Amino acid sequence: MLIPDSLWGVRCVWLRYFDVFRKGLRYYLVTTFTEPILTLLSFGLGVGSLIGGVHTQGHQVSYRDFVFSGIIGQTILTQGFFEAAYGGFIRMYYQRIFQAMAQTPITLSEVLWGELLWDATKSCVAAEVVALIGVVLGSFPAISLLTLLPLAFLSSLLFAGFGLAVAASSKNIEEINYPQYLIVFPMFLFCGVFYPLESLPRFLQYVAWVLPLTSVNSLTRTLTLGFPFEWWSLPILAAWLLALVLGSRRLMTRRLVK
Amino acid sequence: MAAENIPLRVENLVKRYRLDDGGELEAVAGISFAVAPGECFGLLGPNGAGKSTTISCLTGFYPATSGRVLIEGRDVHLEPKAARRELGVCSQEETLDSDFNAFDQLVRHATFFRVPVEEGEKRAADLLERFQLADKSNVEIEALSGGMRRRLQVARALISRPKVLVLDEPTTGLDPEVRRMLWAVLADYRSTGAAILLSTHYMEEAQRICDRVAIMARGKILDVDSPANLIAKHIGVAEVSEELRPGVTWRRPPNLEDVYLKLTGSKLEAGHADP
Repeated sequence: MLIPDSLWGVRCVWLRYFDVFRKGLRYYLVTTFTEPILTLLSFGLGVGSLIGGVHTQGHQVSYRDFVFSGIIGQTILTQGFFEAAYGGFIRMYYQRIFQAMAQTPITLSEVLWGELLWDATKSCVAAEVVALIGVVLGSFPAISLLTLLPLAFLSSLLFAGFGLAVAASSKNIEEINYPQYLIVFPMFLFCGVFYPLESLPRFLQYVAWVLPLTSVNSLTRTLTLGFPFEWWSLPILAAWLLALVLGSRRLMTRRLVK
Repeated sequence: MAAENIPLRVENLVKRYRLDDGGELEAVAGISFAVAPGECFGLLGPNGAGKSTTISCLTGFYPATSGRVLIEGRDVHLEPKAARRELGVCSQEETLDSDFNAFDQLVRHATFFRVPVEEGEKRAADLLERFQLADKSNVEIEALSGGMRRRLQVARALISRPKVLVLDEPTTGLDPEVRRMLWAVLADYRSTGAAILLSTHYMEEAQRICDRVAIMARGKILDVDSPANLIAKHIGVAEVSEELRPGVTWRRPPNLEDVYLKLTGSKLEAGHADP
């Protein structure tokens, strides 16, 4: 089948990442899945046995189920961000493979789409594995693996966009620590991964709703635990997705092309 | 020769950068040249002359401020994919993909040009042989020496069998024997009708393998001709004297370095070569 030129270029870049992943499968499996699975076990089974139940949005669920669902969002955040921020910086700055590929019939625009789509794929698969564990342990219905897929992929793309924007804006690899500690870590703590948002003071709830992870968690709990649909999550996520994906591509192009 | 048969044509290329302080730098100031099939065209100039910026513009990676670059008659900015299908590039910086070994590196690069994997494998094996890297086929990039990496990067530029080959200081860091081997490979390659654009700091290299040389400074081409004509035009004597060290001078035939130094200033003005 003849693939249109642009899609073919993006596919080439995506396959390049997939081949690297396949070559280092053992390493990537450990680094991709250890953190979410350990968090899952520690908070879900450990802290969950102390807390018992959570009552929020008119629903009573076990803390384990509540936190399992939150860890799906946390996995999307960390996997998407770190792969694009650190991996993207290494590929752009040290390996210079963006530049090498963009001197072939593959354009820089296609290289950046390939990068974002790969980062999103990897993060989405990690989130689905966490969801699968939730299904196996009886926390979520099996159908949620399917319904979650579009949300997991688009949210992964959003955080990959954030990571790539950070990579494009960082003068050196240490500078990635700033957004990591000032934005990613607060999102991890305050966007409803480990406790319902209502537990926070009102002003912090507003701040949390501005950040995209809160919307990801809200929609994830709707799809996995049947929580009420908070419609405003969708425009918040759509706005972040557009801004970060388009913004990251623009920043990276400005960084590379004089 | 008809314009459409010229593999590489650069017309009034201008490239200006915006500087961090808000100012503007004209790195390339309206240069034009063409490279014919089978010709090796050299770009010579001091650091900051605009050679690498010119190369980035003609690979299409940097957009030109004005002017155009045609590869096999196709504008590299208007039809980047079609133009770059005929282009092989070896950048000055190392851009090898360190996630792959030497062989896979070449095969993967070939797929970017839609070369089928089986054909890519054949070409990769052949190139590794010609560049004396056959025994390093399965070696990861980090384990190769600097000279081997440079050779591999030149080999990678050839994997798509481009009609235009652009080499930005390809022999920097290579020992003389390997440099000669590379010259032989390039001579073979140009005999297939490919056009070669070579940027180099080595005068001997330019004199030996380039049919014509453009001497650049401050973004402009100061002169362009064959090495012999440049020497005749700008030096014009059978012998020059050069002070090797205080009190020791020798007389020798003039070379391209004398022309380079005369046109770009610096050492010649200080009296190192005295035609």
